[in-house]
Amino acid sequence: MFNKLLERAGVWFVLPLIVAMFSAEVLAHGERAQLASMRMRTMHWFDFQVSATTVKVGDIVTMRGTFSPSEHWPEQLPNISDTGFLNVGVPGPAFIRIDSSVNGVPMIRSTAFHAGKVYEYEVVLRARLPGRYHLHPLINVKDAGTLVGKGAWLEVVAAEDGQPFVNNATTMLGDVIDLETHGLQNIINWHLVWIVMGVAWLVFWLARKQLFIPRFILVRHLKEDANSLITKKDFVVAGIFYVVTLGIILGGYLWAENKYPITIPLQTGKVVVEAPDIPTGGLDINVDSAQYKLAGRSLTIQTTMANNSEHPLHLAEFMTANIRFLNSDVALSTAYEDEEMVSMDGLTASVNVIAPGQTVEVELVAEDALWEKYRMTGMIHDPDSRFAGVLFYYDDEGNRYFQELGGPILPRFFD
Amino acid sequence: MSTEIKTDGDVEFDIKQLDNPAVYKYYRKFDMPIILILLFLIGLSVMLHYSLTAGDWDYWIDWRDRRFWPLVTPISLLILTGGFTYSIWARFRLPITATAVTLMLALFSWISRYYNFHVFTGFPLSFTFPSTYIGLGILLDATLVMTRSLLLTSVFGGILYGALIFPLNWPLFAAHFQPIEYKGILLSVADLMGYEYIRTTTPEYLRIIEESTLRTFGGSVTPLTAVFAGFVSTFVYGGFLMVGALIDKHAKSIRRLV
Repeated sequence: MFNKLLERAGVWFVLPLIVAMFSAEVLAHGERAQLASMRMRTMHWFDFQVSATTVKVGDIVTMRGTFSPSEHWPEQLPNISDTGFLNVGVPGPAFIRIDSSVNGVPMIRSTAFHAGKVYEYEVVLRARLPGRYHLHPLINVKDAGTLVGKGAWLEVVAAEDGQPFVNNATTMLGDVIDLETHGLQNIINWHLVWIVMGVAWLVFWLARKQLFIPRFILVRHLKEDANSLITKKDFVVAGIFYVVTLGIILGGYLWAENKYPITIPLQTGKVVVEAPDIPTGGLDINVDSAQYKLAGRSLTIQTTMANNSEHPLHLAEFMTANIRFLNSDVALSTAYEDEEMVSMDGLTASVNVIAPGQTVEVELVAEDALWEKYRMTGMIHDPDSRFAGVLFYYDDEGNRYFQELGGPILPRFFD
Repeated sequence: MSTEIKTDGDVEFDIKQLDNPAVYKYYRKFDMPIILILLFLIGLSVMLHYSLTAGDWDYWIDWRDRRFWPLVTPISLLILTGGFTYSIWARFRLPITATAVTLMLALFSWISRYYNFHVFTGFPLSFTFPSTYIGLGILLDATLVMTRSLLLTSVFGGILYGALIFPLNWPLFAAHFQPIEYKGILLSVADLMGYEYIRTTTPEYLRIIEESTLRTFGGSVTPLTAVFAGFVSTFVYGGFLMVGALIDKHAKSIRRLV
């Protein structure tokens, strides 16, 4: 008996523990849900930074980074060059967005982003609700869906003074308002007025001696004369309700016009963001072929590279679907503390440095269990077997360049 | 006037029995359960229907514009109102449906906004409060009482229902349409709320709201929309009264099917 109880208690203890262990992963990486090839060929996010990982309610957090829409954007998807919106991936309004910009342009409204251009974004947030959140940059693409950038865990703790969160703003008329509660009491009062009116109407009609069954019988009996069930008293009361209702509507409208004489319609419309081209640094890359080895969890890309610049170029990193494969032989790309989705020595290049004027065949191998962990192996099940990613490289002076590689990809199943 | 009617079971019924206190007492027992079931059914139906057809316009204050919200809302609400009204009027001569629909929508919406949007998700109620339509319901029902005609109600009541939706709600909304300068950009308070309170899957462009157009009538958006909404409401209400009549006519067949 006791053993059974212990066994059951054990199950109830272990089960939640297992759920808790895996739920953190699940909560963190909803972005894995998208098809591998879609993640590779839509948006390249990099240089993600977050200013703090533990903050108090009311503190400011800044998230910044860079993104570049893919030139291999799937034809069947509505294109980001139509309409997109820089957003934040966080469960509910745990933060308020104080400011957001792309290449210095405020991102209050939507815009268009173009393939092959570089966009630097910055989002300033203020912590609002205590909790532990995984914070992502997002781009919502009109008619296509959401593209999720790499994120970070943030811990928000309660403010020391324990005061409720206040979100003040100043109107152009000089009034300071708290957006958390703005106009709420007035809204509740008006709702109560109308609820009382509605209840009064229903009570008048439903608090009768002869209600459903007698009226049903009478209506069937009276046939064409059934309207005689509406008495003179009903008519008068309905007239009173009619006039009072119209009076309240008119009075309320005039009251609001008097109290808020200056109002504007909702504001909308797209803004334009100028963006520089991807800095290729004079390196021409031609993708000859690409293979994904299932057993080896590696992507092999055969390329021909021609360095047309005056500097040697060091192949430092390949990135796709937010996963970074760093070339430890070159060691120029770095990862920040606790950065996820990074393979520190995941990239191998048959030639690490391309000399000025040199044209050479280069085999790039991006190999790591991260392919499996982030469900990239699913690309063999995708109906559109193509890949894309970004190759980062540096010159001798430490300047970083990059460009996108992409094309068809073939799976290899057995070696 | 004959005092006897035949019921479906061919049992003779004397209408004078309605004056019999014993019978009356028996019938009264059914009233409260019917009222509760009816109101609950109406509430659930309108909540589901309204959420599916016009939900976002009512969830967020930064969706309630001058052009689409006053047009979409009466169309959505009058679909169910028309359907329910026919049966309740034809069977009981009770002009309660429009008020019941709007009242139950208000009550259910407040419950949803408070628990779903405010407690569970954390949005401030000042951003997600529901609109009110009870005044429109009363006007429609009162018109039905005074005209005693579904046709005249759909014409006169329908026009009022569509046309007055904006002035009815303006006392609730006006504070949210004050201008604010934000990073050098003109916004209404509602726009600023929509920007600051993050909605991951509701980007700015998703809003179906008024945009600038060359086809205006001296820039008078609100009155023009009101007139058009009134015009459309007449037909929607009338049309769905007919649907209600059709369902009512085939009620027996539907019962058999069910």
